[in-house]
Amino acid sequence: MTAHAKLPTPPIADPVSDRAPVPQEALEAIFDDIRKHPLYDHEIHGCLNCGICTATCPSAQYYDYSPREIVQLLWTENLEGIYDAMQEKIWACAQCYTCAARCPFENSPGGLVMILREVAIKHELPSVKEVLRPFSRVLLKVVTTGNQLAPNMITRDAFPDWGPNVTKVDAPLMVLRKAIPMPTMHTLDTAWEVNLRTSVELYTIWEATGVLKQLATVDANLFDVVSDVMDEKRDEWEEWLEDNQDEDGDTDD
Amino acid sequence: MQTKGDGAGGAYNGFGADWTPTNLTETEAKRATGWVEARIDKRFLLTGKDRKEDVRDIMWQLEKDGEIVVHRVADHHAPELAKTLYGWDKKIPTTNLWHHKSCGQCGNIPGYPSSVLWIMNQLGLDYLDETDQTSCTAWNYHGSGIGNVVSLAAVFLRNMHQAYVSAKAHGLPVGTYYPLIHCGTSFGNYKEIRGFLLHSAELRAEVKKILGKLGRLVDGKLLIPEEIVHYSEWLHMMRHRIAARQTIDVSAVRATVHPACHVYKMVPEDVIYDDTVLNGDRVAVTTGLLQTLGAQVIDYSTWYDCCGFGFRHIIGEREFTRSFAIDRKIKVAVEEARSDVMIGHDTGCITTLDKNQWIGRAVGKVYALPVMADCQFAALTMGAHPYKLAQLHWHASPFEELLEKMGIDWEQAKAEFVAYLDEVKAGRIETLYDPRRAITSGPGYVKPPKTLQGA
Ligand code: SF4
Ligand code: SF4
Repeated sequence: MTAHAKLPTPPIADPVSDRAPVPQEALEAIFDDIRKHPLYDHEIHGCLNCGICTATCPSAQYYDYSPREIVQLLWTENLEGIYDAMQEKIWACAQCYTCAARCPFENSPGGLVMILREVAIKHELPSVKEVLRPFSRVLLKVVTTGNQLAPNMITRDAFPDWGPNVTKVDAPLMVLRKAIPMPTMHTLDTAWEVNLRTSVELYTIWEATGVLKQLATVDANLFDVVSDVMDEKRDEWEEWLEDNQDEDGDTDD
Repeated sequence: MQTKGDGAGGAYNGFGADWTPTNLTETEAKRATGWVEARIDKRFLLTGKDRKEDVRDIMWQLEKDGEIVVHRVADHHAPELAKTLYGWDKKIPTTNLWHHKSCGQCGNIPGYPSSVLWIMNQLGLDYLDETDQTSCTAWNYHGSGIGNVVSLAAVFLRNMHQAYVSAKAHGLPVGTYYPLIHCGTSFGNYKEIRGFLLHSAELRAEVKKILGKLGRLVDGKLLIPEEIVHYSEWLHMMRHRIAARQTIDVSAVRATVHPACHVYKMVPEDVIYDDTVLNGDRVAVTTGLLQTLGAQVIDYSTWYDCCGFGFRHIIGEREFTRSFAIDRKIKVAVEEARSDVMIGHDTGCITTLDKNQWIGRAVGKVYALPVMADCQFAALTMGAHPYKLAQLHWHASPFEELLEKMGIDWEQAKAEFVAYLDEVKAGRIETLYDPRRAITSGPGYVKPPKTLQGA
């Protein structure tokens, strides 16, 4: 498993690009993070090179992408190839896990792709910011509210390719939302009304698990906005707690 | 299978840079795919493996060792037994359920959860729909890579803990409500994370630290649910009770099923298979329900394919999403299966398949296939209002013809709904339950009388 350490250390460069060569140490640091990932051994157990994963992979039909290739690069510890695949290819995977259900070795190429994505973010690979730019609205929503999608995100402008029938009854969005017979869903900014305490608890999870750090890596502006919202909601919660200590010293939870 | 016109270059140009077409003759191609299909249809690639450990065994052992507490599916949840892939039993709770909502459903296809709750009302079953819940955050993780196994596990167990203690807010004992997961991705993700948690003492220790800070431990231990249950599994167990209340004949309806990847490809050993549903060759949920309701379930060649959602693709690379949805699912359901409706059981799939048809017109692929969730279809057959309850107006695909085929006067129903919107504007809103129940702590919460507390 450490064959790569014995290789000579020429810098890795693309002969037809001006990009600076990647030093061997950087490639090794990336691979070390991949194989130290807590799920790595769970997701890869060998590879027959049979291609069943690629034959059933939706992304392989539309992109220059093959889960078999991803698994082979990892299994053979092809550091240069891994680095290369992490630039773009790993973002082609549709995360359907058809490959995992089918692989005779019980590998999960889709799961390995997630490890590669996490490590690509950690190492701030140049492609990451580019690829995740369209995702920033969702990131902001999920980190600040715990919901990933809100009714007011689904507009004709945001999704012109969905056609004119985003709703088939013409009425103000809030009226349509209030016509849903579930009281938790009479909302515009979140998919359901999220309890204040819930959001505050979620922030503790983000902080303790390094998610905010990831966010800062991907998008510093977004991180600033998120931090402001978190501060506001925490203040709001503290104020509510102060105002609502009952006679027994209990709060209402 | 090789199709006509698949010459050099192939129908698709993928499979990696060094891919070349096989140029098999039609007979050779048939023989090759026939071999694969025979095994796939027999679940061979899943059951043929030398499997498999049941993580619930580890769970009971950890509880015995005093490491965790298991939230049991108890008698007051009126459980029914289903068989999973390897013939193991899975306990499906049928009442006193805590709705773990889906952000995509609630934000985008609201008739999906409202149909589930309405069916529960019709069947006289109890539940709680409350505001103290986050999404699983796994859509975001699978799409962006932001998040990690510890954050996913902490989010999972925080929500599960809230489900466990929620009833206290109404003066009822902890454990009254059992979590029912609406979203397929939450379901798949929670099952996967539960497995990781049970296998890794290190992960448990990390998550325990965080949940301790949140006050979300039970007797100082992590709380893990005995079963992770998807609403489609609950619906499957309810199918005969639903059919007994059916008022609409659907025997003329040709339905195709799109099963969700994260429901049956993730942690496949925990998925319900039933020998009476397509010989047990395919996941039983949804198909079993439709058959019980008397609809014609039509098989099609791309049944196993995903929908094209892709998690990040639906947002940032929609060319892939819509091409896959149209070419691999909608086109096949219409042309091969002559389907009247496609029925799914997950958030992302319904959204993808429903919303991505219209754009096909730009390239001469004109399809108009209604797409909805199994619970919406079931509610309609029980006489639910197509707009007020099943909320079909949020769907982009045209459902009007289907309703006509089912004998439902959609024009009248639409007029009723438009009239109802005036009532809504005037503040006269109909809801499925008392809205005060939805808030269990913090601003807006009203404590139950002292006599009911202390449970
Ligand atoms: S299906 Fe499994 S063994 Fe076969 S190529 Fe893919 S990863 Fe390797
Ligand atoms: S999870 Fe990714 S690699 Fe696996 S089949 Fe799906 S798209 Fe392909």
